[in-house]
Amino acid sequence: MGKEYLGEFEELVLTMVGVLGEDAYGNAIVSEFKERMDRPVNLSAVHVTLYRLEDKGLLKSRMGGATNARGGRRKRIFSITNAGLATLRAMKESRTDLWKLIPQLKFS
Amino acid sequence: MKKNKLNTPSSTALRFLEWFCPPQLYEGIEGDLLEQFDNDCREAGERRAKWRLLLNALRFFRPGILLRNKFSTSLTGTSMISNYIKVASRNILRRKLYSFINAFGLSTGIAFSILIYLFIQDERSFDQFHVNKDRIYRMKGISYEEDAKKQQRFQSMSQMQLALASVMKAELPEVEYATHFCGSHGTLQHEEKIFKEQFTYVDADFFKMFSFPLLRGNADKIFQGKDEIVLTPALAQKYFGHPDVLGKTLVLNGRELTVTGIIGAPPANSSLGFQALVPIQGWSSYNQRNLDEWRNMGFATFVQLHANGVPEDFQTKLDLLTKKYMRDIVQRWREEKSIPAEYEPYTISFTKLPDIHFEKEIGWEKVSDPQYSWILGGIALLILLIACINYISLSLTTSARRRGEVGIRKVAGAYRKQLVYQFGVESIVLALISMVIGIGLVMLFLPAFNTFTGKAIGLRSHDGISLLAVTLGITLLVGVVAGCYPALFLSGFKPVQVLRGTFTAKLQAGFTRPLVVLQFALSAFLMFSSVIMYRQMRYVTTKDLGYDQHQIVIIPMQIRRGENSRRILEHFRQQASAHASVVSVTGTDYPFAGDDGMIFGYTVNGEPKSSWGYTVDPYYIKALGIQLVQGRDFDADNPADSVKTIIVNEALVRDMKWKDPLNEYLQYHGRDTTQGARVIGVVKDFHFLSLTQDITPMFLSMEERLNYILVKINGKSIPETLEQLRKYFIAAAPGKPFEYQFLDENVARQYQSFDRWMNIMGLSTVFAILISCLGLFGLAGINAVNRTKEIGIRKVLGADLYNVFLLLNKQYVWLSLIAFVLAAFPAWYAMNAWLASFQFRIEINGGLFAAGMLLTLLIALLTVSYHAIKAALINPAETLKYE
Repeated sequence: MGKEYLGEFEELVLTMVGVLGEDAYGNAIVSEFKERMDRPVNLSAVHVTLYRLEDKGLLKSRMGGATNARGGRRKRIFSITNAGLATLRAMKESRTDLWKLIPQLKFS
Repeated sequence: MKKNKLNTPSSTALRFLEWFCPPQLYEGIEGDLLEQFDNDCREAGERRAKWRLLLNALRFFRPGILLRNKFSTSLTGTSMISNYIKVASRNILRRKLYSFINAFGLSTGIAFSILIYLFIQDERSFDQFHVNKDRIYRMKGISYEEDAKKQQRFQSMSQMQLALASVMKAELPEVEYATHFCGSHGTLQHEEKIFKEQFTYVDADFFKMFSFPLLRGNADKIFQGKDEIVLTPALAQKYFGHPDVLGKTLVLNGRELTVTGIIGAPPANSSLGFQALVPIQGWSSYNQRNLDEWRNMGFATFVQLHANGVPEDFQTKLDLLTKKYMRDIVQRWREEKSIPAEYEPYTISFTKLPDIHFEKEIGWEKVSDPQYSWILGGIALLILLIACINYISLSLTTSARRRGEVGIRKVAGAYRKQLVYQFGVESIVLALISMVIGIGLVMLFLPAFNTFTGKAIGLRSHDGISLLAVTLGITLLVGVVAGCYPALFLSGFKPVQVLRGTFTAKLQAGFTRPLVVLQFALSAFLMFSSVIMYRQMRYVTTKDLGYDQHQIVIIPMQIRRGENSRRILEHFRQQASAHASVVSVTGTDYPFAGDDGMIFGYTVNGEPKSSWGYTVDPYYIKALGIQLVQGRDFDADNPADSVKTIIVNEALVRDMKWKDPLNEYLQYHGRDTTQGARVIGVVKDFHFLSLTQDITPMFLSMEERLNYILVKINGKSIPETLEQLRKYFIAAAPGKPFEYQFLDENVARQYQSFDRWMNIMGLSTVFAILISCLGLFGLAGINAVNRTKEIGIRKVLGADLYNVFLLLNKQYVWLSLIAFVLAAFPAWYAMNAWLASFQFRIEINGGLFAAGMLLTLLIALLTVSYHAIKAALINPAETLKYE
């Protein structure tokens, strides 16, 4: 992509959506942050980031089915688009390339 | 949709969320919040879960969410806006009285706010025009004061040592420039034009530090020599008739000076004021004795640090400098005043140029208390608020007339939101009209405001845009705040009820009643204060001072060192006494009613005492009508009286605990051990100081030189008499400017600042009463509307106008009584504090308060009577025919 840069939090949220697959919605991402990264994040921050990523075309969203658990409210399920996946991949590769350039790192 | 869930979260949080959240996102967010709430309930309990929900919901109130709203509703509203404005203007024109009252209230509030904004703006603009303002500092000396009664242990003053400027410049690398700034006065002469003028002695660096524009001359070359002078254009005009006067000469106190520059006059918001600048090196006080003696202070000093100079380092080095030059002096002070070791007897410090204006502990031209800005700002806010609430209560009063309109609009398909916009537009239109009136009021009152505040604020063009922005901002704020509640109230009418004609709305305006009480309390407070201030000022100006202050002309003799003032006086007396309008002629070193005068300190039995000492001539006591209670007056024919003879006042006798004062001697020259001056008479205490001070010990002697001629005249054809006096004076003292003052005017001038506050209070009182009357008017209107039917029924049953009048007005008597009680104590307290600055003052008595209360009541009744009479005169058939 090149012209659009993602912030650290944006990148993480994007990745989380990818990780969670069919069950990626606001709360799930918050608890995923808590479990996997031990990082407390605020729901509103996650929501705002999700909408921003959707604006950028890296995510798309649809309303899921109604359940009883959340007062009958439907979930807004996010899924990663091809563009989002490409961005993630490009970021990861450029990181790895950079990583290799660090000379003094030795794993021994 | 019914909510079926285990726990019921606080719905306010969710309703708030629904209000601001874009609808397409709302469900997903709400669901997530509820899910989290359920989780929290399980983990932390319901109470905390509720808190977290509220907190989480509030966190969604952020631009990332808010800006996702589509602002389409406001766009559809604009298509109606021309109609709204049309309806608004028709409404305003139809009800002229109400519109006028509303516009008056709002415009007063707006005008007041603008004035106060201008005031605060002016206060803050002081000395901001100097390019180097952040690097220029005024030096100050901070000395330890031993007076145990005072809270403040240290006293600051701007009088510095003469050598400080040059020493700092030479020894401290931080200092780029340094200059003195010492005011003085003397006679300036050019050919036949002789006047007394104010001078300011400065150094050459002055022109490099400050940003006063040098209109003519070269800043780098000015003040290389001693005999130069720089004038403001006004002064050049005065002496030469044109401003192009470089190279011309003037005579200052006998010294010939060449004009080497013309400098722009300092603006009104400059702490440094001057008319003519003269190099300090040419001043008689600039001598070796003052340069060497670091105890002699009296020379205000300014420095400019280099761009990279750090003020903290500067302070450290100043402390070292003080040690170097003043170690012995400071040590001696410490011993003399027995200053404890933890306090520094004397330190040199500095104040940033823009802060000078607010450093009220140091006496300086135009110095001001920043508190005034805060107080005035608070008043402006209060007045605005009151004006808004008055508008609200007045619009509610007349809402009945708009019911039909609201009903029709709603039936025709208007949303409530649109009606809210409509009424909002209406109040904003009215606010804009008020703004125009308000600006008019500002222009009208600005000169008076300037007089009250002692400022020279003008509506200058260069800050017009910011002023306009502020005005518009205030106006729109007022329009929105005032229009909010009426708009919501009026738009809430149910069309079916309204159009059926049976609708009777009980106006709910519970908040207006306490507000009216508050307004009235405020007015009553201001009224009491004004009355008490007025009474005190009248007392001060009419009190018998113990001497005759009227019809006494003061003529300064403009004596220079070494001149014989007594000869001039005698010469003048011989001629003037013959004139029919002159009662007597006398002389003194300092006329009263100024801070000038000599205080002598001496020690009696180890106890330090002090006394004011005035030098007079033998005719003085008679001319001023001072009463002699013991002994005799000075005798003009007895030359022995002119040395070592004094007449004292009763306060001095009391202070010295003399039993028989005529056999006593006073040694008022500090360390002198001779017997001192013989007391030949005692005068009754008179107020030679202002009435803010007690009568302190004082004596009259004939030993020192005289500076002023006092002429007692009989008050017939004063202009001609003054012209005669001028001729006599010029004959007696050729080459000196003739100036005069009147003693009673000088006496009155001592109370100028009190007078100014009295005027401000008086003006505020008028406004406050007017505005609170508006509030009461509105409240009475609401009440009358609410009880229209009741009054109708009462009239049918036989009540007459008097009964109705009583019925409607009874409660306002109570309201104004409550207001009075609320106001009485603070007023009493505040006025006692104000009066405390006078040593001689009136007593606050009950009669004053009773009169105030009666006045409050009368004003209140007058205001509410309009509605009461109107309501009482309505034909009951009119009000009851629909029942």
